[in-house]
Amino acid sequence: MRAELRLALTNRPENVLVVRQALTGLAGALALDAIETNDLNTAVTEACNNVVMHAYAGAEGPLEVDVQVRARVLCVVVRDRGIGMQEPYVGGGTGARDTLGLAVIDALSSCVGFACPCGGGTELRMEFPLPSDVALAECGDARGRAAAGEALLTRAVLVGALELRIAPSTLARAILPRVLSALAARAHFSTDRISDVQILADALAAHAGASVLAGELALGVTVTPRNLTLRIGPLPAGHAQSLVLAGADGLAPVIERLTDDRRVAPADLGETLELCLVDRP
Amino acid sequence: MATVSAKPPLTSVAANARTDNSRELFRRWQHEGDAHAREALLREYMPLARALARRYGRSSEPFEDLLQVASLGLLKALDRYDADRGHAFASFAVPTILGEMRRYFRDCGWAVHVPRGAQERALKVRDAQEQLARERGRAPTVNQLAEYLELDAEEVIDTLQAIQAYETLSLDAPRPRTDGDLVPYAETLGYDDERFELVELDTTLTAVLGHITPREREILHMRFVEDLTQTEIAQRVGISQMHVSRLLRRSLEQLRALAHAS
Repeated sequence: MRAELRLALTNRPENVLVVRQALTGLAGALALDAIETNDLNTAVTEACNNVVMHAYAGAEGPLEVDVQVRARVLCVVVRDRGIGMQEPYVGGGTGARDTLGLAVIDALSSCVGFACPCGGGTELRMEFPLPSDVALAECGDARGRAAAGEALLTRAVLVGALELRIAPSTLARAILPRVLSALAARAHFSTDRISDVQILADALAAHAGASVLAGELALGVTVTPRNLTLRIGPLPAGHAQSLVLAGADGLAPVIERLTDDRRVAPADLGETLELCLVDRP
Repeated sequence: MATVSAKPPLTSVAANARTDNSRELFRRWQHEGDAHAREALLREYMPLARALARRYGRSSEPFEDLLQVASLGLLKALDRYDADRGHAFASFAVPTILGEMRRYFRDCGWAVHVPRGAQERALKVRDAQEQLARERGRAPTVNQLAEYLELDAEEVIDTLQAIQAYETLSLDAPRPRTDGDLVPYAETLGYDDERFELVELDTTLTAVLGHITPREREILHMRFVEDLTQTEIAQRVGISQMHVSRLLRRSLEQLRALAHAS
C-alpha cells in the first residue's frame, strides 16, 4: 500500500492551517484516531512553524510538505529552500536538538532526522507508526510524477498560490473538502459558499480519477478576496470538458452550477481545467 | 486570515536546566527531600508545561483543563528525573508531559467518540450561523463566526467539517421559519413528482431517484435548478444551512454510488 500527498506553499503563517487540514483529512482516510491525528498535526505544525519563522529571515519562500503512506508507516518531510540549519536548531550553546519544537517532534514521532539537500535549505523528516495496514489503493508509478515537482514548487511561490498533489486520486475525497474549505475561508467566503466549495470538492474527488495522469490529482489554487481559482491538471486532451460534464452526476449539474467560470487551457502534458468561484457580498 | 493564531517561537528552554540554580534545586529535592526546592522547580518549569499544553492542545478541551494535566505531567517528570545522568531536564520532561496529555485524551474517550466539547461547539456554530444570517441577510464568513463566538478561525473551519459527520446532533429538529411558525417538514414540502425536473433524467437515474427522500429531492431541486443559496433553502425548509449542506452532500454521494453501481 502506497499513497502520496504533496503540498507546495509559501511560508506564510496562514498556510500552516492548510497543511493541518490536509493532514487531518489524510488521517481520517487512514482511520487514525483523534489522539494519533493530534500527534501528527502537532509535530508537523512545529516543523512548519519553524519554516514560517526562521527559514527565510523574514522574507517569503517555499514551504513543501511531502507525505508518503507505506505499510505501517507515515513519513512526512517538511522542506524549505532557505538559509539552512540556523537558529533555533543549531547554536545557542545548547546543542542542536535542545529546543522545545524539536523536543515535541521527537516525542511525538517514531523517527526524526535532518537533511540539507544540495539545492540548499533544510529537510526535516518525521515518521509516524500506522496502527494497522490501511486499505488504500495503489497509487501507481511514481516516475511519471517526479518531473512536475520543480515546476510545481516554482508556481507555488507566486503570491497566494498553493499546489497540491494527491495519489491515488481517490484519497482526494478525504483531503480536498478540508483544504478547499480553509482556502475559501481565507477568501472571506460565507458559510453558504464554503459549503458549495465542499460539495464541489466532493464532485472533483469523485470524478477526477477517470481523467488524471498517473493516478495523481494535481491541483493549483489561487486565493484572492472573494475569489477562489482552482486549476486542475494537467489532464489528457479532451478530459477537462468531460470532467465538467461528469460533475453533473447525471443529475444535478454540480460543477457547472457551483462555479462562476470554467476554462480549458492548454498545458505541457495536455490541458488544465480552470474553475473560478466568486462569493459576492 | 488575521485570526489564525501564530504560535510562539521555538525557545531554548533546555538551557534553564543547565543553570547551577536548578541543578542545586534538583539536588535538594531528590537527595534531601526538600519540598520547597520541588516547588521552586515547579515554578521554574511551569512555562514549559504551559507551552506544551498550548501546542498539543488544539482541541475542544478547555485550556485550563489541559494546563492542569500538563502540570501533573511536569510533577511526575520532576519526581522521576535523574539529574546525575546528565540529560537536560527539558528533554526528559517533554515526552513525560505529552504522555500525560495523551493519556488524558485517551481517558476522555477521545479515541472512540466525538468529545462533548466538540458537539457543543458544533451546536454553537450552527446557531451563530443562523443568528448572523438573520441579522445581516447573508451567511457570515468564518472570521465573522470566529469573532462572534470568540473561537479561532481554525476551530470554526474544523467545526464546519465536523458538523457534516454528526448524525447524532439534533440538526433534524423542526426549526422556526422566517415567519416564526414552527412547521414540521412533512407540511412544508408538499412535493409533487411532476414538477420535479432535474436536468434530463435517463431511465436508470429515474429509478435511482427513488432512493432519495422527497425532502432531499426538493432540496437538490432548489439548489441546482432554482439556484437558491443554501441559506435561502434553509429558511424555506426550516432547517439550518449546515443541515442543508449535509443533506446535499449526502444525497449527491448516494446518487453517485447508485449511478456507479447501476
